[in-house]
Amino acid sequence: MTKMAGLFRPKKLDLSGFVNTRLIRDNNKRMAFEQTEAERQALRYMVRNTSLSGRVRAQAQLQLAQMHAYTRPTQIKNRCVASGTARSVFRDFRINRFQFRMQALAGELPGVRKASW
Amino acid sequence: MFSYTRSLIGASKRLGVPVPFRSLSTPSQPTPPEQEKTPIQDPTPEPTPIVSTEAASVTPTPAATTPASTVPVGSTEAEQPSDLAVKEWSERLGAFGDKNRLPRSVQAIYLRPLRRKAEYGLPVCDLQLRSYSVRNVEFFADFAIRAAYYLNLPVSGPVPLPRIVERWTVPRSNFVHKKSQENFERITLRRLIQIKDGNPQAVQAWLAFLRKHAFYGVGMKANVWEHDSLGMVTISIRMASSMIESLTIDCITDAGKAMDASVAEVEESLRPELAQFGQRKDNTAPGTIFDTLNNERFTERKSL
Repeated sequence: MTKMAGLFRPKKLDLSGFVNTRLIRDNNKRMAFEQTEAERQALRYMVRNTSLSGRVRAQAQLQLAQMHAYTRPTQIKNRCVASGTARSVFRDFRINRFQFRMQALAGELPGVRKASW
Repeated sequence: MFSYTRSLIGASKRLGVPVPFRSLSTPSQPTPPEQEKTPIQDPTPEPTPIVSTEAASVTPTPAATTPASTVPVGSTEAEQPSDLAVKEWSERLGAFGDKNRLPRSVQAIYLRPLRRKAEYGLPVCDLQLRSYSVRNVEFFADFAIRAAYYLNLPVSGPVPLPRIVERWTVPRSNFVHKKSQENFERITLRRLIQIKDGNPQAVQAWLAFLRKHAFYGVGMKANVWEHDSLGMVTISIRMASSMIESLTIDCITDAGKAMDASVAEVEESLRPELAQFGQRKDNTAPGTIFDTLNNERFTERKSL
């Protein structure tokens, strides 16, 4: 499995900014999913299509199960681009809640300010 | 000391925009010699002189055109509070207007933006401006309206659309201290500018002009509608102006012709999609729909 994971890794690091092992791994997963998405969808369609013969559907099911784990979209997790944390990452800014607070207070996020109402 | 530096910076800012008036009106202004000397005397050995020297370096920028007149003005502005300077400003404008007037296009900047009147009121382009600051969006909306006037485009707006308020609540520190949180918000302000029955090329030129002179912190989004003629309708109206019946028929036929011409293209583009269309072979039941309806199950249901 670990050997296979290397297949999806780009030869040269194509990330910039904050880089983390876990961030790189997540990026690999995204790349893997992107590369195999069409194949995945085709197999999924075959598995669910009742007009196909049972043999074909079973084969498709097996092939889908044998695909690498990194090609699954459920493996992808949003991570903070500033700190690499995977918890409480805001989709609007792709930033962790703590990083968001620090940057907002520093005035680095345009338009964001302290609210009181 | 502090107030002095601040007013100087303000003067330099004010100098940036209306340079022509200042340089023209300065000769009438009395410039006492002791006021001229003050900026030289003022800088004292404190941490602030760095700022003052910066401000002094900024002020002479318009002096490239009129070196003799602008420098004393900066010094007089520095002496007076900002309220006084504003009053004096309007007086100066008036005095200037007595003798000779500005070009109309320059005068118009001080007035509300001019507008063209829409003849038909057919919307052609919707431009939405978005920003986080009122000043920027208001300024740019004004600019866009003025630009539209000179491009001969009738404009309606700016319509203030509802603000988009996004709020986030964040714990101040670790998970354990959930009780102490902080709120942040981001308010997006929107303005809608609608162009009515304008020439499509003029509209494109207007949009290109606005993109070229895009203002910082203001986003733009435009919906452009193009209206096509119904084929040969206009010509047929001219030809058969006397006979109303034939005219209406012409309209219908010509409109149909224009649409018929495009059918071939549409069919060609739809072919791959239509090729996928069909019925599953294994899903067909023997007999007609009436057979199934007369089935035992259906008849039983009916009797109940």
